[in-house]
Amino acid sequence: MKLYEKVIKNPWPYWVGGILLGILNILLLFLTGSTWKITTGFLYWGAVVLEKIGLNPADWYYYSTYDHGLKEGQTFFLNSYTVLNIAVIVGALLAVLWAKEFKWKKIKNFKQFSFALLGGILMGYGTRLSFGCNIGAYFSAIPSFSLQGWVFAAFMFVGAWIGSKILFKYIL
Amino acid sequence: MTATSSKIEALKRQREMEVKKKKNQSPFGIIITGMVITIYLALINYNLDFSSYWIIGILMGITLQRSRFCFAASFRDPIMVGSTSLLKAVLLAFIVSTIGFFIIQLRASVANPDYLITELPGQFNPVGLHTALGAILFGTGMVVAGGCASGVLIRIGEGHAMQLVVLIGFIIGATLGAAHFPFWDGVLISKTPVVHFPNHIGFFPSLILQLLLLCGLYFIADWYDKKNNIMTT
Amino acid sequence: MAEYKLDCLFEACPIPLLKALKQLNKMEIGDVLIMHTDHNCSIKNVVEWTKKQGHLIDYIEIADGEWEIYIEKAK
Repeated sequence: MKLYEKVIKNPWPYWVGGILLGILNILLLFLTGSTWKITTGFLYWGAVVLEKIGLNPADWYYYSTYDHGLKEGQTFFLNSYTVLNIAVIVGALLAVLWAKEFKWKKIKNFKQFSFALLGGILMGYGTRLSFGCNIGAYFSAIPSFSLQGWVFAAFMFVGAWIGSKILFKYIL
Repeated sequence: MTATSSKIEALKRQREMEVKKKKNQSPFGIIITGMVITIYLALINYNLDFSSYWIIGILMGITLQRSRFCFAASFRDPIMVGSTSLLKAVLLAFIVSTIGFFIIQLRASVANPDYLITELPGQFNPVGLHTALGAILFGTGMVVAGGCASGVLIRIGEGHAMQLVVLIGFIIGATLGAAHFPFWDGVLISKTPVVHFPNHIGFFPSLILQLLLLCGLYFIADWYDKKNNIMTT
Repeated sequence: MAEYKLDCLFEACPIPLLKALKQLNKMEIGDVLIMHTDHNCSIKNVVEWTKKQGHLIDYIEIADGEWEIYIEKAK
């Protein structure tokens, strides 16, 4: 019962999460040869939608430069990013269910909805400029000894500061 | 661990008597666990690469959820409430991964001494003004939306409908960004280099410098946390 | 001793923490704040922050994924 409370029910200390994520990050690179990226998967899902409505995003300039295209034998839907992203969602769901803490939380009001959408669009657009999100351009880039990660980190603080101002002024 | 008092204990006892019996979520937990394992076994046969992504993703999701790991908060909390416990955890993760990535990259560079940067295992992209601009947009959006890329995924798993909206926004934003990419590539990106520290100063100095930097930041974060503790009283 | 209630259902991070912070500033020593929240992160970051500030805190789960956090202002 003690062990159940400690491992399954109560939140782990942050530092435990940090060390485990560091190890998983290495393991992913070691086993698959590629780093952890999230938003590329989101972009590909967008491309799936565009394909469904009859466009041909694969012809875009974006996908023909900087290794942005699909790997051999992958589609916009069926690729390693989709597998990884869905696995992270399912992993979180699993952890919540084990702790018996799952609850469907509805959207509170229109204001919350609009700021969620706006925040998402800002993040999404930002990731295309900086070649990655807080995972691809930060969590995977800094351990890769790439300057990109450090620059991204420094300016993410600037962004977080602006975001905090907006939050205090309009959301709280 | 919590710091309780007699008043709080009295409130808790009173409330605990009123609380109705909870539904049992264990059956769902068992069903999903079974599904996860089945998919893993199926993927081992169908696509070995995917099976690694799948199992590591599951473990990452569990770790992120259980430890309430939040990159957005690691940037936001020092600014908003002067707390750096999450930032310190992120730095710890970096210290661990730096060592691991170092070994993997060193092995690859020894095996192929005439490597191109992009052939090494790791994440390498051009760095320049566009990185800063993107990071500012990302940081702003992250705080406004209440979650970063990993946070969005975790909270969808926890059942936050709001984070599904963030995900839709994310997809729209990323698609728009890709559509405008020729413009940004022409103005900012195409002339910028990929900077990989070992390429300039060697592998071992890079490792030492980066570890020193991360440890230094850790101590600064620790000091900042303690300082804010005294000042806010 | 007064009791204050704070409804933080369906709120996203960091709104519950900031609301609690705002309310605590208005309260007298010995007053109790009862937060009702369904955000999984609250039971971690609100607890951590209030403890750091030296207030007394505990929480119970009142339904699946819903908590009541009790904070007694101590200084």
